[in-house]
Amino acid sequence: MRITIKKLTVQYTEDDHSLLALDRVNLTLAPGRITALVGESGSGKTTLGKAIMGLLPDNAKVKGEIFLDQDNLLAFDEARMTPIRWAKAAMVFQNGAANLNPVHRLKHQVAEPLIQRGTPKKQALELAETRLKAMGLARELADRYPHELSGGQVQRGLLAMGLILDPPLLILDEPTAALDAVTKSFVADVIQQCRAQNKSILLITHDLDLAGALADDIAVLYLGQVMEHLPGRDLLEHPAHPYTLALARAFPTMDAVRDLGGIRGDAFYRMVHAHAADNGHTHVHTHVAAPDAFHQGGHAPPEGCLFQPRCTQAIPACSLGSVAMEITPEGDHRVRCLRGGIAQALHFEQVTKSYGKITALYPTDLTLMAGEVFCLVGETGSGKTTLAMIAAGAVSPDQGTRFFQGRDMDLWMKKDAAALASRIGIIYQNPAESVSHRLTVFEIVAEPLRIHNTVRDESALADRVKAALSDVHLSCAPEFLKRYPHELNMGAIQRVCLARALVHEPDLLVADEPTSALDPSVQAKVLKMLLTLQIEKGVTLLFVTHNIGLARKVADRIGVMSGGRIIETGPAARIINHPAHEYTRTLIRSAQGLIRPRAPVSSSV
Amino acid sequence: MHASDRHTWLTPVLAYLAAALILAFLSHSLPRMLPGDFVTAMYGASDVTLTPQQAADLRALYQDDSGFMAFLGRVFCLDWGYSYAFLAPVSALFFDALPWTLVLMGTAHVLSSILGFVLGVEAAWRRGTRTEKAGVGLMTVLEGIPELCSGVLLLLVFALNLGWFPAAGAQTAYADYTFLQQAADRLHHLALPLTTLVLAYFPGNFLLARAGMVMVMKSPFVLTARAKGLPPIRVRYAHAARNALLPLVTRFGLRFAFMITGALVVETLFSYPGLGTLLFNAIAMRDLPLIQGIVLAASIMVLGINLALEFVYILLDPRVAHAS
Repeated sequence: MRITIKKLTVQYTEDDHSLLALDRVNLTLAPGRITALVGESGSGKTTLGKAIMGLLPDNAKVKGEIFLDQDNLLAFDEARMTPIRWAKAAMVFQNGAANLNPVHRLKHQVAEPLIQRGTPKKQALELAETRLKAMGLARELADRYPHELSGGQVQRGLLAMGLILDPPLLILDEPTAALDAVTKSFVADVIQQCRAQNKSILLITHDLDLAGALADDIAVLYLGQVMEHLPGRDLLEHPAHPYTLALARAFPTMDAVRDLGGIRGDAFYRMVHAHAADNGHTHVHTHVAAPDAFHQGGHAPPEGCLFQPRCTQAIPACSLGSVAMEITPEGDHRVRCLRGGIAQALHFEQVTKSYGKITALYPTDLTLMAGEVFCLVGETGSGKTTLAMIAAGAVSPDQGTRFFQGRDMDLWMKKDAAALASRIGIIYQNPAESVSHRLTVFEIVAEPLRIHNTVRDESALADRVKAALSDVHLSCAPEFLKRYPHELNMGAIQRVCLARALVHEPDLLVADEPTSALDPSVQAKVLKMLLTLQIEKGVTLLFVTHNIGLARKVADRIGVMSGGRIIETGPAARIINHPAHEYTRTLIRSAQGLIRPRAPVSSSV
Repeated sequence: MHASDRHTWLTPVLAYLAAALILAFLSHSLPRMLPGDFVTAMYGASDVTLTPQQAADLRALYQDDSGFMAFLGRVFCLDWGYSYAFLAPVSALFFDALPWTLVLMGTAHVLSSILGFVLGVEAAWRRGTRTEKAGVGLMTVLEGIPELCSGVLLLLVFALNLGWFPAAGAQTAYADYTFLQQAADRLHHLALPLTTLVLAYFPGNFLLARAGMVMVMKSPFVLTARAKGLPPIRVRYAHAARNALLPLVTRFGLRFAFMITGALVVETLFSYPGLGTLLFNAIAMRDLPLIQGIVLAASIMVLGINLALEFVYILLDPRVAHAS
């Protein structure tokens, strides 16, 4: 059975406003295919499932079409929907046991749809018991009441109940949430069996592992809009939309090595409400706002890309007009992104650099995607700093071309060097040497703003400086602003440098061994702060370090350098778990070798 | 039978038995704590002056000097003493009046519970409609009217003014009726007191059932029931209402405890020959043995009904068995 959803819009009416839960969603469910719906909570996933079943609450206003083969379900009334439910489309709801009636035995609830459709009671109960047994629930468990079953047993029971009438369409809402790994893999097996039986399956989940492993197609939902349609296998490896990437980065997979990164900002609700306009008419508009304070500030633009306020690669055009779904160049994804998907922040083609007779960098290609953390790892003298400084625009390459945000950096530099420089921030290895000793803290942080003349008003400048300092958890007290670097410890100076690098809100931050001069506890703090700010500001980070252990905790992707060449690039998890190059293996081995387990110190008194 | 099953039924039985014993003990010892004795209590406030011989004779006739165990034995043998106001054994008076009260109160309870439940469920199902809102408003008003007030109004309108129903009694005295005619006659007499009681009890049941149902209808399992393609009536009763039933059963048990006081007002008002009227007369005539007998017997009955309900709970909601 084929389900075709066309321009499905669902709006929940509250007292004086509405919530837009789904916004012109198109989706097709085909027999023998698992279609997954992923997204944060509140993105409208469950609403879509309930809309197919015709089970939306009374305050839901539904537009669009849901075709079950040739029938438009949205035109059906309750009396015509009743025979379709469970026989043609069944749904396993989320939150387990709450979906079972506490006062009826499990097997009676499983058999109930059969009995209501005319199967003799005895026969129906026998079939229910057989089905429950196939789900791993013995007769004794089938006889129990819901409160006498464990979470895993309930989920198995709900699956048996959903499949009792052998429906051609199965909707599963978070079928594995709160399940242990064993039950989860059992549920995954059942879902795959359903696919083999040629059922159409809609899998609603926030478990990206499950979606990636099972789904043939995936729709990524954000605030009721589909942001990306992609093949299941690409979800974790090759997402095309920045939101999909951000979701993948936030998800704890077994082989993730870096610390989990969140997505900056919050997903708000989409409010539709009427305002009195100046001319006395009321006009109705939609905007994105926090649920508790939707009348106060923080109105995101009603127009433009919904994800734009949280996106790491937004350009001014992103907040204008509506964004349509476009097919990616590869042809297998469709993304709703003005920039055609995740953009390149930086792109090098055959870039070289030599100092006299010494070749610091052989012809090198390198690409940094917007919003990612890329680590350059290698021993001293491998060309890391040269490459980083070329990326920062501080050093010019001998040959090759550099592109920053899609523009040729050298041409850009000739035309407007200041504009380019204002988009790039740098942090150097040695904090004490990278600040002028004749400037106060305030002057150090204010300097980039003065140079680029971004803020003319002195009090606005002070505000920017204070905001930058509080971002890095430094004091904004007048006494502190008047201090000189020699009065501060190393950690504080490096934080001042971080504030300086971020004060003009750059798109790219180049950090060259930013923590190697710090002792471990200060390093841990500064790194945490750097990574938090990277997510909050949505800045692309090029992180240079000789410490692969550090890179492992920080990077989305790692590039390993040796002798002026990048010898290996890839996702951090792959580089660390399955290094391809011998040198990388040596690097990892020696990093591990440093921390040899010592013989326990005997504590004889 | 599992040990846990025995635990389930044994604990409440023992608890109720203990409560009954305490009741019996209080019933035995409280009159003995009264200042003076039965005879003083009976004649102390009247103008009658007794000679010492008369007082001693009366004492010998009415006063019960037996210990608690002997008292308990007599309670079991239905020997509850002798009513001097009616000059008859207390148990005989009690069992004469009991059927009338059971018919009136039992019918009133069952009727108001069923009516309140069904209407409450249907109202919750139609939540937000104009009919439902009007219904809830009306019930809230009715809930506030005491049975004395509604009883007097019914009496005035339907018995005294319109003359549709008899104003007093439970049946026509000395009439030569066939069985069916007698039944019709009793129903005719029952109509007004029964209506009064149903009007008093049913709004509370309605509001309780509706509130419970509104809560239950928000439960995910009701949505599941709808998703399963079940007919609306099955969703409403087998799934939703079934779970809203428990508070109503509790109320049923609690209400039974008020059986005697409820009967006191309505039975007296309609001169209905039940326990209420009997108790009213006993109090008016300071007939201590009768008061004592009625109160003790009625209390034990209420205990018995509540004990029975303990088991009904378990039948209605399997989770209750685990809670204890």
